[in-house]
Amino acid sequence: MTYLTPGDPPKRLKKVVAIIALATLAFSIRLVDLQIVQADAINEISYANRAVTRTLPAIRGEILDSQGEILARTVYRYDINAAPSKVKPVSRSVGGQDVLIPVEQIAQEISGLLGMTAEDILLKITGTGEYAQIQKSVDADAYRKIRALNIPWLYYDPIPDRLYPNGAVAGNLLGFLGAEGQAQEGLELSFDKCLAGANGEETFEKGVDGIKIPSSTITTKAAVDGKNLHLTIDADLQYYAQQVLTDTVAYRKADWAMAVVIEVKTGKILAAAEAPSVDPNDPGAVSVDDRGSRIFRFAFEPGSTLKSVTAATAIDQGKANPETQVSAPYGWKVPGTGYLVTDSHMHPVEKLTLTGVLRDSSNTGIMLVGKEVDYKTRYNYLKKFGLGQKTDVGYPGEEVGLLNSLENWDGIKKYVSMFGQGVSVTPIQSAMMYQAIANDGKRLWPTLVEGCEDATGNMVRPAVREGVQAISAATAASTMDMLEKVVEQGPIGKTAAIPGYRVAGKTGTAQIARASGGYSGRYAVSFVGIAPVDDPQYVVAVTVYQPRTISNSLGATPPFKSIMQQVLRTYRVPPSTTKSANIATEW
Amino acid sequence: MSIANLRPARFEAVRPTLSMASLRASRPGMFFGGTVAIGALTIAILNLLLHIATSNAVYELSDIQKEKKELITTTQILGEQVDSLSSQQNLSNSAQKLGMISNSNPVFLRLADQKVFGKPKAALNINGRVSRNLVPNAALIQQSTMVAPTTEVLTVATEATTAGNVAKTNSAAGQVISTGGAIPASPTH
Repeated sequence: MTYLTPGDPPKRLKKVVAIIALATLAFSIRLVDLQIVQADAINEISYANRAVTRTLPAIRGEILDSQGEILARTVYRYDINAAPSKVKPVSRSVGGQDVLIPVEQIAQEISGLLGMTAEDILLKITGTGEYAQIQKSVDADAYRKIRALNIPWLYYDPIPDRLYPNGAVAGNLLGFLGAEGQAQEGLELSFDKCLAGANGEETFEKGVDGIKIPSSTITTKAAVDGKNLHLTIDADLQYYAQQVLTDTVAYRKADWAMAVVIEVKTGKILAAAEAPSVDPNDPGAVSVDDRGSRIFRFAFEPGSTLKSVTAATAIDQGKANPETQVSAPYGWKVPGTGYLVTDSHMHPVEKLTLTGVLRDSSNTGIMLVGKEVDYKTRYNYLKKFGLGQKTDVGYPGEEVGLLNSLENWDGIKKYVSMFGQGVSVTPIQSAMMYQAIANDGKRLWPTLVEGCEDATGNMVRPAVREGVQAISAATAASTMDMLEKVVEQGPIGKTAAIPGYRVAGKTGTAQIARASGGYSGRYAVSFVGIAPVDDPQYVVAVTVYQPRTISNSLGATPPFKSIMQQVLRTYRVPPSTTKSANIATEW
Repeated sequence: MSIANLRPARFEAVRPTLSMASLRASRPGMFFGGTVAIGALTIAILNLLLHIATSNAVYELSDIQKEKKELITTTQILGEQVDSLSSQQNLSNSAQKLGMISNSNPVFLRLADQKVFGKPKAALNINGRVSRNLVPNAALIQQSTMVAPTTEVLTVATEATTAGNVAKTNSAAGQVISTGGAIPASPTH
């Protein structure tokens, strides 16, 4: 057979080869373009399609008490979300048979776990959207139970959340975080640098099925967890004090009450309790005013608790001793002002010693002793006792109190300041004045935070300033002896006595100053005490603000006694074995 | 010499022959090609097997990671329950249910001379005001399930309170011994 092929076959072959060569060249050029010239850009687009970048959340540090008990830690909560467009009945195997569970029944099942009504859930999951939040911050137990229902149109987002296992115990100190996890109040805020870590970031590639491809992970930034904050607070003691104060506020119909427990020899705050107290798990349950700590933020005229400082000043200046004799009238006209200052109750002129003046809390008596010391000197002593200065304890928004500059001390203030009017102190300042008296005259700076501990156990302790020798050790001892008589013999002070222990202390019934000037008919009643006198170890300062059922320190001595007894029991302080000094209170 | 005589000689000279030398040259080529092909095939198969193994490992790893997440969630759930049970609020409520009252009159014994400090007094429940929990805790998700105190314990507690001085109570009648079986407890006087 003969085939007739038109044209010139060799020539045609050459043309075909040329076309193939051209095509090959074109493809080669394109290949070089894709593989070399555009390679980086294409790789980038490809990687972007496969790669997933996610934040590695840093875990916020814990807050612990002095015994290592956790007061705040981070846990995960879960947002329960749905895709309404995908909501449909769910197939479930019941008794070996596939049954279609209607959406209404599913809503009913979820509602019980979320504490919502089925109607509310149905309302949220109805629609055509791709996202609807059913409930925020569900706990892990409920999340797991919901997830076990295997509902394909539900989605779960884990959210780090702060848990305060002991609720309102030390809540006013701890503070709390906002909805977005930002520190808002208390030590959470002021020590945010210690507690907050730094979020990291990682990128990985995922397969078609969405599963991460191993060895594809690139951690671009490692997460750094927060450090742990150790407090000086004893949570059990704090709880006890809060129990006592909550009861006192209810019983005395007071606005609020607070108690501070200080370790005399170190200045450590062992308890800083308040009522009402905020539960940081639910800060919205109390008013804004009750969410912080008044111990550091609320300054008020201390009243008679400041008489101890006036007496100590007079003794330290050699102008008086515990048995200095005073004829204390009911009222005394302040020289050069025309003001008449009176005692709290009518009485004839009383022949009291300085100790008796403190025992009876005589305003006139303390002025007659205190005026022997130049007011500029007294002013300096008040400063040495810490008035008008922040304690730098580390609590945010600490109040400085009111001392005024010396030039602004008018005629009346020079006198009334001797019994705690015209100046104001915060409860922590008030407690530290007595810490100085109990600590051989040396005022320390209070500490609330032991330190910030990193993952390796390295503890960075906050710098604490050197203490101030406010009065001599001898003066401090004399003042302690006088204050012990307040508890031994004082009409109100007696109710603060603790069987078996030598206790020193001072009552304070301060009229509450009006913002518009003058004084209201209400009082801030206080008692600040030290025990045991033979080896002073603890100061407990209690203030009950605006009690409606009582207007003197009888409102403060019972909580003081309860708390001090608990302190002595907690720290295993054996009862006193010595007796009080023999000091005359009258002449 | 004639032309006819020359032809065979020329033919022999141009006729192609298959010599031993060319055969020797093509065999290594085939061998090399075959080796490369087999090698490539082996690599491809190994790659496939490795890929299958890796894929399985990926799913296994994914399962393990899921299990780890589950265990972390379990730890958190249990941790929160323990937190609740050990919180001061729960302990206080439990103590109250058991009829326990804090005694604020500690008594100390100095071992050196056996001297007793303090006066023992029965704990007093002052109007019951501070014995129940008053401090809120929204995180209290779990509470102790209490076993009611036995009649014997209640009787002893009542006797001690009535006597007003625990030092005078008959300790023989008031022995409370743990029968839990877990930790042997000595009778406490």
